[in-house]
Amino acid sequence: MVQRPAWLTRSAMTMVAAILFVACAGPAATPSPATTPAATNPPTASGTPGQSSVPSSTPGMSPSGSPEASPSGSPEASPSAAPTGTPYPDSVVAASEPNSITDSYPNYGDPIDCAAGTWNGRPYSGTVKSITATDDHTVVFTLCAGDVAFLSKVAFSVFGINDSDYLIQHAAAGDLKDGMNGTGPYKLDQWQRGSELDFSRFDGYWGDPAVAATAVLKWIIEPAGRLQELQAGTTMGITNVGPTDFATVSGDPNLQLLQQGGLNTLYLGMNHNFAPWDNLDVRKAIAIGIDRQRIVDQYEPPGSEVATHFTPCSIAFACTGDDWPDTNVETAKQMIDDATNGAGIDTTLSYRNVARGYLPLPIDVATDMKEQLAAIDVRVTLDEQLSGTFIGNANSGALEGLFLLGWGADYPDVTNFLDYHFGSGCTSAFGDCYPEIFDPLKTGASSSSDADREAAYTEANNAIIANVPMVPISHSGFANAYLAGVDGAQASPLSNELLFAMTPPDGGDQIVFTQNAEPIGLYCADETDGESLRACEQSMQSLYGFKINSSEVEPSLATSCDANDDLSVWTCHLRDGVTFHDGSTFEAKDVIASFAAQWDAASALHVGNTGTFEYWGGLWGGELNPPGPCGLANTDPCPVTP
Amino acid sequence: MSTTGLGLDAGQIQAQATSARPVTGLRANIGRILRQRSALVGLIILALLFSIALFANFIAPYPETRSMLDLHEPGVHTRDAPCIHILGCPTTRAEHLFGLDGNARDEFSRVVYGARVSLVVGFTTVIWSILAGIIIGAIAGYVGGWIDNILMRIMDMLLAFPALLLAIVVVTVLGKGLTNAMLAIGIVAIPIYARVMRSSVLTVREQDYVTAARALGDNSLSILARRVIPNAITPIIVQGTLGVGTAVLEVAALSFIGLTAIAPAAEWGSMIAQERNQLFTSPLLVFIPGVFLTLTVLAFNLLGDGLRDAFDPRLAR
Amino acid sequence: MIRFIIRRLLASIPVLLGVVAIVFILARVVPGDPCIAALGEKASPATCFQFRARFGLNDPLPIQFVTYARDLLTGNLGESIRDGRPVTTILVERMPTTVELTFYALLFATTVGITLGIISAYKRNSIGDVGTMMIANLGVSVPVFVLGLFLAYVFAVVLKDSFLTLPPTGRLSPGFQPLPIAVAWGMPKLSGPVRTVLDFIGNMYTVNGLLTLNSRLFFDAIRHLILPAVALGTIPMAIIARMTRSSLLEVLGQDFVRTARAKGMRPRIVMFRHGLRNALLPVVTVIGLSIGALLSGAVLTETIFGLTGIGRTIYESITGFDYIVIQGMALLVALIYVAVNLVVDISYGFLDPRVRFS
Repeated sequence: MVQRPAWLTRSAMTMVAAILFVACAGPAATPSPATTPAATNPPTASGTPGQSSVPSSTPGMSPSGSPEASPSGSPEASPSAAPTGTPYPDSVVAASEPNSITDSYPNYGDPIDCAAGTWNGRPYSGTVKSITATDDHTVVFTLCAGDVAFLSKVAFSVFGINDSDYLIQHAAAGDLKDGMNGTGPYKLDQWQRGSELDFSRFDGYWGDPAVAATAVLKWIIEPAGRLQELQAGTTMGITNVGPTDFATVSGDPNLQLLQQGGLNTLYLGMNHNFAPWDNLDVRKAIAIGIDRQRIVDQYEPPGSEVATHFTPCSIAFACTGDDWPDTNVETAKQMIDDATNGAGIDTTLSYRNVARGYLPLPIDVATDMKEQLAAIDVRVTLDEQLSGTFIGNANSGALEGLFLLGWGADYPDVTNFLDYHFGSGCTSAFGDCYPEIFDPLKTGASSSSDADREAAYTEANNAIIANVPMVPISHSGFANAYLAGVDGAQASPLSNELLFAMTPPDGGDQIVFTQNAEPIGLYCADETDGESLRACEQSMQSLYGFKINSSEVEPSLATSCDANDDLSVWTCHLRDGVTFHDGSTFEAKDVIASFAAQWDAASALHVGNTGTFEYWGGLWGGELNPPGPCGLANTDPCPVTP
Repeated sequence: MSTTGLGLDAGQIQAQATSARPVTGLRANIGRILRQRSALVGLIILALLFSIALFANFIAPYPETRSMLDLHEPGVHTRDAPCIHILGCPTTRAEHLFGLDGNARDEFSRVVYGARVSLVVGFTTVIWSILAGIIIGAIAGYVGGWIDNILMRIMDMLLAFPALLLAIVVVTVLGKGLTNAMLAIGIVAIPIYARVMRSSVLTVREQDYVTAARALGDNSLSILARRVIPNAITPIIVQGTLGVGTAVLEVAALSFIGLTAIAPAAEWGSMIAQERNQLFTSPLLVFIPGVFLTLTVLAFNLLGDGLRDAFDPRLAR
Repeated sequence: MIRFIIRRLLASIPVLLGVVAIVFILARVVPGDPCIAALGEKASPATCFQFRARFGLNDPLPIQFVTYARDLLTGNLGESIRDGRPVTTILVERMPTTVELTFYALLFATTVGITLGIISAYKRNSIGDVGTMMIANLGVSVPVFVLGLFLAYVFAVVLKDSFLTLPPTGRLSPGFQPLPIAVAWGMPKLSGPVRTVLDFIGNMYTVNGLLTLNSRLFFDAIRHLILPAVALGTIPMAIIARMTRSSLLEVLGQDFVRTARAKGMRPRIVMFRHGLRNALLPVVTVIGLSIGALLSGAVLTETIFGLTGIGRTIYESITGFDYIVIQGMALLVALIYVAVNLVVDISYGFLDPRVRFS
């Protein structure tokens, strides 16, 4: 008896020893043990010598920037913005408090220096210079440069307006992502995790009230599952009908199919930093070697179209310049053979097995591409990668072979498509940026004249054809399906279907809609997935909004936003008589707070699901007090990557 | 005894159950004929599958990756229904017994080539798993002491996870791919063989002829190789036969959740996965590979049962 | 006896410690960037660094392990990388789905399995025996995902519009919102641990239906459970049927049974009084051991039938690189598994006096 516990003790100790050994040995085997701890130094209050006055600006710390500046109006504010409401109070809280809501932001430190790209000595890459309320119904946005896409951007649901007190209270509690307090036609009753969101009509809504008294937004991941529910009549509308189910839906008299051209692009990418893609002739051969029509016909939903340009043509200036050259397999094969002395090319075709709007059937398309490429002597091995790995490899320019990727619109403007991929800060996926393409893009993005823009985008599009950084394949369409009795059924190109405008069949008082997945969080300023955004759109509203079933903007919480001549100052006149779901009144400070929460990384309001507020950076260039390239503080060293 | 696709294989369950149960009673003989007959059935099915796999080039009318779209026949579309001439399909159209799949490839050819993949996968996985199990079990049993302790505790830990889940994690760590999936499924099965081997070694180790061999100066390795392993091989073969079925099933399951990534090759699990969302529009594309998968596993199970009845000395009493 | 239990408990400690370590290490070596997985393809490297820092993923592994172990001891399983919610909350939310599914699968497996086994042994070598064993052989060979898809096709498509039609996805009919038990019992303000327990129980909709006397809820939940439970339970059912049969046949061949029969006892009485009682021991073991298999099968079943339970959560967190959730779930599953083995061992001691607790 005495022996047994001893045996057990021994084996237990062996185990603990083994665990410790493994745990300690683990990192020793990883590349850079010495640099890893250094990378995690907590941000310190003292800056580097060259930046001695830089506040570390971690949330909760008081800044060392000049506290006396209490800007009662940005000097850049457009004088043409005539106040229409009562004068706005100077400041709600002391300006030295970076989290406070005032009549202007930033409300501490020096004015932003756009030309130098700095603010308070810290780098600032953003395009917003200040946001100022001239009275409680007027907000002036001053930008560093003209921005033609301003309205499309502020209409994006990520910039939905929250009540400032609600923001302060729930940011502190950390539960912003669990609920919503918007101004929209539906207010959120409850989020039944794992099953559905329940909404009810908001009686104090400023516009036309919701048709149905209650709305349910639920989710089923599999397209077949969604269709089943619709056929059973237990949901009234579904998103993204499976590509093979279009016939089923349109053949069913009880259902209606709503097709929509998608604002997306599927492309076959290649990185010209690697051979053989450094050879322009090879790239040009690929450009004409693929029967793109066959891909669209066989693997994409009806309503999809072959890409004539990188950007879908429903977007302004997208399709200026020449069309993509026609398929010519014989010539392509000849070009490949000439370039390789008849040897052909052996390479990989990388993709991820994740269905996206631009690529509903990834494996099928990759397989078909393989077959097609073989016909022009490009022999590819399919290389399926996990989603995260694939995107990481693409973004870092590590994919040496061909790859299948795409892009879905964030906001309906040509800059959203072209600048990310080919602008001066282009993605590394295609290798070094092509100056022939990014030069005209720069002109196009900052020009207010339609003629200039058209000329610039013509040049850019033609340069894409001439250089072939990738081959645009298609703009994939999609369809939503509804019960035949649903009025106001929608298929939005930006996937913001609004339940309040749908009428349930047979005089019912509840509308049920099924999307692809559960929202991740409901504070959409810090979300990126379409499922979260669609949920937010039911309750939250932005200054502008998108017309139903369209990518055209229309006024929403602002009755209008007017620009000055060079499109760098936008004056927004706020709608009167708007109340939030909790009863508080909508005012200019709510706009300032909602934007400042995303804009200033040091703000106490800058807390959401992940805390990264990606769309802010993506659409407005960068945050105030941005994290350094490798850490919370700008001075944090970067880890050495192998 | 039999295998399941679920990770914990039935052999394992029953091995534990029967080893805990005193095997004293006379085994009723009456069921034996029945079982032996089923073993025969298993053998016949297997023989068929093997010939299909072996002669896939001759049986399949098309290469398994050939898209009919390449032939530029008019009217061909992905997921066309079967066209069988004797059932009235116009002879102007090409014959496709099971129709076309999502890439307009001949489903029949793919099913035929799929047999090859499944059998190779099943055997490779089990062989590597057995080899690893034999080595670990032999070392544990023969050396004993703390090494035995550590090795068997590690085996216990492997068994503490449901097999499929562990395999999913292992594949995620190693990366997607058929080889890694086979590696993962193999790892998960090691404890079964290690245990069988270890207990065989323990039994044999103390027997006179081994003691004699040791006294004669044989070294440990040669005793292991010449005396111990031959004695342990029978139960391992029985377990292994059942294990092939399990392996086929589990690799198919990993394929089904998209972790083997072997497109465009034909593998039944991934063929099912790829057409899963077309279940309601093209059910054949899901069920034909499913039936073949089931048949394969069934055949190995039946054969394994028969082998066990014939060879297992414990149960032959 | 007590000593036996204590010893078994102690012996599982090293295994559990090892499991904790394995889970931790496996979760760390999963390649791929949790940041990209959580933030999407448009995230910048700087954003990602910041993101990882928030979850302590930039720390050296030993520090991460110490943090992890310390949190574990306080019952803190961490927060999901994907949506920042505590893993324990996710567990409480999703576990009931799997528990309920597993329970009904096991119920199906044991009742049908034992019945088939008895029929087969009682009428051995009859057509019924052959047929039953054919079902068992087939049942043990058919992949869960093939069977699941087949059932969904037959009952949702082929039998659509007939009275036999069954729903292929989900746990309840859409729009059907069960009340939390606390609310149904008139205590909507209840909070704290009691509320959590009640919510957990209430999330098993059939139990909720029974406790709140809501027959509509109960039957709706049952209707949705039939297909997944049958798909998941078929393999254990087949194993149990075969086990019952062979162990019954063995017991029936033993002396005391022959004696009883010689005394003129009717075969049916012999079967049930002597045979079944003794034959069920190994069957109990099989049932216990099947639970691990059911957990594995739950990954596939939950995927096919669109149920958000533990299995699906594990799969999604693995493919989404949600380390923290992987850790929590894997630990939980291993715990269940070890505990079930323990219970089986101990119950074996109770049921069979021949097994000595030494």
